[in-house]
Amino acid sequence: MVPVAVLIVIAIIIILFWAVRTGQFDDLERQGYNILLDDEGPKKKPTEEQPK
Amino acid sequence: MSNEELCFHCFQPIPRGVDLTTTIDGEAQPMCCYGCQAVAETIVEQGLSHFYKYRDIDGNQGQALIPEELVGLEEQLIAYDDAEIQKEFVLIQNDTSSASLAVEGMTCAACAWLIERQLTNHAGVEKVVVNATTDRIHVTWKAENTSLSSILKSIHRVGYKALPFQQADIEEQYERQRRSYIRRLGIAGIASMQTMMVAVGLYFDDIDATTRLYFWWVSLLFTAPVFVYSCQPFFKNAWRGLRSKSLNMDVPVSLAIIFAFVASFYATLTDTGQVYYECVTMFAFFLLAGRYLELLARQKAITNAANLMKLIPAIAEKQTDDGWQKTMVKHLEPDDVIQIRPGETIPVDGLLLSEQGWCDEAQLTGESRPIAKRSGDVIYAGSINQENPIRLQVTHTHQNTLLAGIIHLQDDALGQKPRVVQLADQVSKYFVLATLIIATITYIGWHFVAPEKAFWTVLAVLVATCPCALSLAAPTAMSGAVSRLNQSGILLKEANVLAALPAIKTLCFDKTGTLTEGRFSILSQWNQCNENQAENEAIAAALEFASEHPIAQPFRRLAKPVELKEVTNIPGLGVEGSVGHANYRIGSLDFIKQWHPSADSPLAQANVFLATPDALIAAWRVDDELRRDAADVLKWCHEQGFRTVMLTGDSQERAQEIAGPLELDEIHAQLKPQDKLELLRGFQQQGPVLMIGDGINDAPVLAQADASITFASGSDLAQAGSDVVILNGELIAIRRLFDTAKQARRVIRQNFAWALGYNGIILPLAVAGFIGPLWAMLGMSTSSLIVISNSLRLLRRQNY
Repeated sequence: MVPVAVLIVIAIIIILFWAVRTGQFDDLERQGYNILLDDEGPKKKPTEEQPK
Repeated sequence: MSNEELCFHCFQPIPRGVDLTTTIDGEAQPMCCYGCQAVAETIVEQGLSHFYKYRDIDGNQGQALIPEELVGLEEQLIAYDDAEIQKEFVLIQNDTSSASLAVEGMTCAACAWLIERQLTNHAGVEKVVVNATTDRIHVTWKAENTSLSSILKSIHRVGYKALPFQQADIEEQYERQRRSYIRRLGIAGIASMQTMMVAVGLYFDDIDATTRLYFWWVSLLFTAPVFVYSCQPFFKNAWRGLRSKSLNMDVPVSLAIIFAFVASFYATLTDTGQVYYECVTMFAFFLLAGRYLELLARQKAITNAANLMKLIPAIAEKQTDDGWQKTMVKHLEPDDVIQIRPGETIPVDGLLLSEQGWCDEAQLTGESRPIAKRSGDVIYAGSINQENPIRLQVTHTHQNTLLAGIIHLQDDALGQKPRVVQLADQVSKYFVLATLIIATITYIGWHFVAPEKAFWTVLAVLVATCPCALSLAAPTAMSGAVSRLNQSGILLKEANVLAALPAIKTLCFDKTGTLTEGRFSILSQWNQCNENQAENEAIAAALEFASEHPIAQPFRRLAKPVELKEVTNIPGLGVEGSVGHANYRIGSLDFIKQWHPSADSPLAQANVFLATPDALIAAWRVDDELRRDAADVLKWCHEQGFRTVMLTGDSQERAQEIAGPLELDEIHAQLKPQDKLELLRGFQQQGPVLMIGDGINDAPVLAQADASITFASGSDLAQAGSDVVILNGELIAIRRLFDTAKQARRVIRQNFAWALGYNGIILPLAVAGFIGPLWAMLGMSTSSLIVISNSLRLLRRQNY
């Protein structure tokens, strides 16, 4: 049991460090909004424009 | 407020007669001007109309975007493509370039999303990251496919102003610190959960010896990274303090952590005594959380300050043998001849070569009306050319201008500024010393009574009296206050200002742009026949579209202009044009008198007249209007017993006109920056002074005053010199600021009372050996939590 807990903790720490390094904690305010804002966007204009 | 009256895009009132709409999500929404319409249409076209659904509309709505301003700016943007200028802020790697831009007008997460989507659709842009916390965009693009100026324009098209800025050197350091704090905090948090879980198991006495030792080793495994990694900042700080022979808060903190860890480690190795791993991890976690919040507040203040330092390429048009050529302002020499277009800021001092010119010197002198200049007059750097292109002969180069002189005055004043002594730091320093002495005495005492208990008692003393709550007392209250003020559009550059405010006796106000709006608006009007009012307004709007004069501005928003023919702009007098077959003139009384020599003003203090060749048909009084809330705020100031003073560079007569209804205690007019500074120093003899101003001419007094406030619309220089920047242009911010400062002071006192009281009670108990390290740790944490919760009360929003 305990060794498993240790492994999980190590995994969590690695994920945390990775998240910090890739700047995922840089702006905590707005990412939550993206899910709302992006929502119907593509559906509304499924055709159109350049590939990204 | 109903939607019918306000523009759907910018929430500005819609001028009479304007009937513009944009179809958003199938519904026609009203727009106040062509600029907003264009922006809204772009947003809809790009399929970004979600923005309107989720944007935050009750927050501090920045100033409305002024489309005309954006149009003027677009021409200047081309200069950012210059390789020489790009060197300062663009990073080029292989064939991609990247730069950071500061954005104005971004109020919520929806704005950030809008900009991000707009730029992702822009051809040639590789990557965009918009940060809503710092109001910044980081953009990467391929130089061969697009240019920086077209990226900037694309941002303008959705209604925001983005420009490169001067990044503060310290910022990168803060960013690194912030990230390392998150990592340390994360480890401490995870480890404290694990150690607490194990500790709960250890509380039961019926655990057998082997399992207990096994649990100790597991706890050690989780605690070791916290001790080695998470606690580093405390150790480093304590060491730095000791090396400079001063005691800081981190000395007892480090001692407690080291003692607790080493003792537990020793106990684990030898399988004797007690372990306190959970104390170490939780102690570290709580302390780090406090430090992290403090760091965030400081970082926010610094990025905001840096965002203000816009890198505007100073470019001038210089006369050469091959005609007019663009050149950098810093390359200008005396006797060069330069040309300045209407609306541009004059870059250097010089003599006017053109026949005549109108300059707005409000930033330098506070005089709100444009000044007429004749050939040979001196034109100062920092003033704005109002009409027609003018030519100047350069007399002083960049460093020697009047403007540079004012900046110099400001620097001097900043150096002499009285600073509030950090009381909290002083108190805790003595507290730390006392704690260490008491701990030593406790150890010696117990050494004689019961040597085996001496170590644990000292540990309890150190943990219990850890001046945690004490050190949190002031900073948490400050961050609470700062964050609340931020929400209502008040930016504190210097958190110390909150401590300085309650002592303020005198309030000094600038006039133009502070008590007044700083731009012209129509205050009253007269029409020959009242039923013709709408028609007259439409004609006036059409005529004034031809004029560059600032007095023409309010007319453009007055009504939808009619078709005009044969428009002539006569600088300094007015505009003439014809609608259908009828001729009209709009302008000063002198201009109208050319048609009607006996004409007399039908309206008190009217300064714009509209006439046909037959008669004078309408008159308007156009002036700088008082801020809407000025009267209320001044009334409140007088109720609070403040002495209110006006310091202005404008004429006595105009100062009286504005100050009269506000009942200011004293009025000082026609002041130069130097005079203002001397007057203010005089006031400071009688007590601390708060200065509220916005112009370049106010910059030195803002820096000298004990506390200073400026507006975001004010000059960059004024913003650099003042402690507080009001983002939403509401004067009531003064009252919010004072109330918050008073509340913050009250909360800090309560916090101190609690922390000192708690420590006073727990200390004798710990010294006497009644309290073990675990209870000491819990007591310390609860005490800190009480202090933090008390400070959080400051976050509640003010409802006025």
